Amino acid sequence: MSMLLELTGIEAAYGKLKALHGVSFSVAQAEIVALLGANGAGKSTTLRVISGLMKASAGNVVFNGKPIANLRPDLILKLGIAHCPEERHVWPEMTVEENLRLGGYTCSSKTELEQRLEKVVQPFARLRERYRQLAGTLSGGEQQMLAIARALMSSPRLLLLDEPSLGLAPRITQELLDIFRQLRDGGMTIVLVEQNVHNALSVASRAYVFETGRVVAEDTAKSLLGNPDLLRAYLGG
Amino acid sequence: MDFLLQLLANGLVNGTFYALSALGLTLIFGLMRVVNFAHGELYMVGGLIGWALTELVGANFFLALLIVVIATGAAGYLIDRWLIERVRNQGAESGILLTIGISIFLTNTALLIVGTVPHKVLSPFANKPLFLGPVVLTQSRLSIVAICAVLMLAVHLLIKHTTLGRAMRATVQDAMAASLVGIRTERIHGFTFALGTALASAAGALLGSIYVTQPTIGGLVSLKAFVVVILGGLGSFAGAIIGGLVLGVAEALWGGYFATGYVDAIGFALVIVMLLVRPYGLFSVKSERA
Repeated sequence: MSMLLELTGIEAAYGKLKALHGVSFSVAQAEIVALLGANGAGKSTTLRVISGLMKASAGNVVFNGKPIANLRPDLILKLGIAHCPEERHVWPEMTVEENLRLGGYTCSSKTELEQRLEKVVQPFARLRERYRQLAGTLSGGEQQMLAIARALMSSPRLLLLDEPSLGLAPRITQELLDIFRQLRDGGMTIVLVEQNVHNALSVASRAYVFETGRVVAEDTAKSLLGNPDLLRAYLGG
Repeated sequence: MDFLLQLLANGLVNGTFYALSALGLTLIFGLMRVVNFAHGELYMVGGLIGWALTELVGANFFLALLIVVIATGAAGYLIDRWLIERVRNQGAESGILLTIGISIFLTNTALLIVGTVPHKVLSPFANKPLFLGPVVLTQSRLSIVAICAVLMLAVHLLIKHTTLGRAMRATVQDAMAASLVGIRTERIHGFTFALGTALASAAGALLGSIYVTQPTIGGLVSLKAFVVVILGGLGSFAGAIIGGLVLGVAEALWGGYFATGYVDAIGFALVIVMLLVRPYGLFSVKSERA
């Protein structure tokens, strides 16, 4: 299987504090891969390195056959990687529509932007009802949907999702997981960071387990789910 | 009654001028969280360039205005990229100290070049009186009010309805999210400061044709601008306009009915009252940020 995204030996640090010690993993086209691990294991930092928010001090990131480590975030986005960060980060004092339109900031064609807008809100009926509402007034679940829809506005090939279910009601979480499956079926590749292991493994085909800035295990979702001892050992779950 | 109408008209005209002179200050705070203490000096630079172009070079007033906007806008962009960039995200104090430094530099450089004599920008508008019923206004003031209104509307449309304006608002509300949709936030900061600078110096060039302009005028302009934005709510676009009009009318009424000698104190009295009863200004920054 040819890989869409490959990380090899990625190291990164916050000042003097080293957060990643040689992370390597790969993701195939139209696959959902989960990154699991406790708080501070380096999952979010890994996503930040992939999307260019953070510089890697060593290692390679190859996307679609092209090295992208330490490129500017806007260039990485243009190559087809969208990052939906933890805690949503919608622009609270802008309307839902403005948030979405800015998601397509790098798109220069007006008609293309309208088409994307139409397509992106399809699975999120609630957002359409709240088009003119300020994003800060939305519920947590709606804000998460907006953050995902905004990321999709760049028409990415690879979507990086950081803790999308954080703080959401189980019903909304299930709704989101269904949307992730639909996206994958439509050909989207997804890297999903989740604290909730069972949710993550219910949509992912494979998972990497992180511990203190390293990948310590890799397996298919099926075998991880069938091996509660292993899960407990790594994740305390 | 006629006297009151005349005072109100004078107040609204001056208020529009105050609003325009404060717009750059409120914009830079609202969209960059930088308190720009060099605001008045940027106004002064606009006035002096306007004077030099119209009086010394003999350029047309509107051409001079255009050159002022472009030249100071470009300078504002460079000030942001070279200087403000270095203190970004290091707390308000660093930005305040830096802009105070810029203000001292600009004042003294201007003193060195043009000296202390006041100058006036030459405008094509006559100082002839216009009689509007019982109210008398000069043609030049009304013309400048009209240009102010056009400028304010243009800036409002730019911020609310263009992609650049949306990118500016997104960058101040959440810079990381802005980076993630491909906005180059460092450039947006530069454009925002350029816009604030161009507005300040456009105000200087426009009002330099009504009042006089000189290198040391910056402090007074900044003071008035701070009064206006504190009245309206620091960072609020609508607030700056309302704050300017309130200040203009209050000064006119006080000067007309009480004592002209204390007119400048009115603004500060209003600010003290405002800070006591409604410290976030007439327009809450939370709901009305530029």
